[in-house]
Amino acid sequence: MSVNMEFRYDKHNKYHRLARSIVIAAISLTVMIWLWWMISIIADKPAIPTPYDTFVALIDLFKYGDPIHDVAISVYIEASLKKLVQGFFLALIVALPLGLIMGRFKVLREFFTPMIEVLRPIAPIAWAPIFFILFTGADGDTTWASSLVVFIGIVFPLMTNVMFGVTKIDPVTLDAAKTLGASDLQIFIKVMLPSTVPYLMNGIKIGLGIGWMCIVAAELYDGFNPGLGSYLSLMISNSSYEQAFAGIILISVLGLLTTGLAEYIHKKVNKRMGVDM
Amino acid sequence: MSDEPKIKIEGEKFKAKDRVRADRTDELYKDIPEGSTLMKIDNLHVVYRTDEKETIAVENFTLDVKKGELISIVGPSGCGKTTILRCIAGLLQPTSGSVYLGDKLCTSPGSDRGMVFQDFALFSWRSVIQNVEFGMEVAGVPKEERHDRALRYIKAVGLEKFADSRIHELSGGMKQRVGIARALVMHPAVVLMDEPFGALDAQTRNILQDMLVKIVEHSARTILFVTHSVDEALYLSDRVVVLSKRPSSIYKIIDVPGSRPRDRTSPEFTELRKTILGYLEEQNVME
Repeated sequence: MSVNMEFRYDKHNKYHRLARSIVIAAISLTVMIWLWWMISIIADKPAIPTPYDTFVALIDLFKYGDPIHDVAISVYIEASLKKLVQGFFLALIVALPLGLIMGRFKVLREFFTPMIEVLRPIAPIAWAPIFFILFTGADGDTTWASSLVVFIGIVFPLMTNVMFGVTKIDPVTLDAAKTLGASDLQIFIKVMLPSTVPYLMNGIKIGLGIGWMCIVAAELYDGFNPGLGSYLSLMISNSSYEQAFAGIILISVLGLLTTGLAEYIHKKVNKRMGVDM
Repeated sequence: MSDEPKIKIEGEKFKAKDRVRADRTDELYKDIPEGSTLMKIDNLHVVYRTDEKETIAVENFTLDVKKGELISIVGPSGCGKTTILRCIAGLLQPTSGSVYLGDKLCTSPGSDRGMVFQDFALFSWRSVIQNVEFGMEVAGVPKEERHDRALRYIKAVGLEKFADSRIHELSGGMKQRVGIARALVMHPAVVLMDEPFGALDAQTRNILQDMLVKIVEHSARTILFVTHSVDEALYLSDRVVVLSKRPSSIYKIIDVPGSRPRDRTSPEFTELRKTILGYLEEQNVME
């Protein structure tokens, strides 16, 4: 009998599954970096720096800030996040009540749906030039103009998800609440709102992903106020391509963190609410 | 029931403001002696109207429910048993006819007619105890009291180890125990049960029937129980109402002798079951 020393993958083992997905992801990213490296060598253009040069630029970026204005990179990150958060909460304030009443009252749903369907296909970034004209402050502050682009990106998925959540409430739970004596207001607060939460979370998850794309796109229009998008356009107009690529990597990582966080909360909430989605 | 047909409304429309939101509504009727009429269901008609045609679902349903009795409604499947129960609960507006509790006309759902649903209808985002507390919570019962009472009822249905469990962690039988506790803890004047054990397997059903018998023996309750199982109706109830086919009206009312718990294998039991099954058979032949 030989002693079996080889590793066996067990798909019912949580740690094996985790290790497996980490290994595959690592291979995937390695292949991507290798491809990028090949392309940059073959193309041999300054606009495509090698991963190594980009990595060095990224380290320098954190060490010394941006090479043109000597501003710390955290200032850019903070500015972008601020606009994202502003746009997000603005969308939440608008989408939550609208989604709820549209879900609750059919006639309002029928009234608002044509408006939404007309507005929805317009890429949020298409609004950017108008918003920059309308909402740039007297001091040249464009924070709100960019936030509004984020708002447009987030508000529709949020609203439709909340609305969908209200229409999906099991009518039997409403009946149960009625026979237990709950008033219409109590039903709204204690039954409708909680059963909409998983759908709201789903909307938030989708919205944050879109919002993050919107914020960078909106900032590209805006070379004067800090933000990762404006950093990007500044570096490119200065032909500092390594720095620009370092910025792109930063955008990707921050985007992953935002959506990862939303995904994590979404899962926790669903578990707590007893929903499998 | 989102695709419920539109109903022609002749009587006064149900109003949300009439909804009874109170704990221990059974005490409102404590002057009515056991065995006298507590609830009067008077000439209930339900007509479903779709675009093309009208269907009479319930016709001329009149029934006096006596205080402290357990009364079952059986009938051929699809005959409108649930429709009748939903009208009594106030969840469905009858086309005409009325439901009186004591001498009060019921015009809206409310906590005076507690209900247990076939598919449990629990609040999945609440724990077991929070589900049981819901009615007392909306009625404004103080926190301590409602916690203690909820725990007592959770014990009574045998779920003391699961008071803080989430609903999705429970089996079907356990879910319905929660549903029963949630309805009974409110001390409603009448408890309506809509095929409460219909979604459960035979063994669980028997266990829950015995549990219900025990609870009823312990505290007098007035229960209206809808079921498609003749056996279950005979095992549990004081009277069995046999419905006719659609449009459903009362075909026969049978008094069930003997006190609970009953012996399902006794000759009288078997005899009665044969009789009722015979009535149901007649319904099918009459078509």
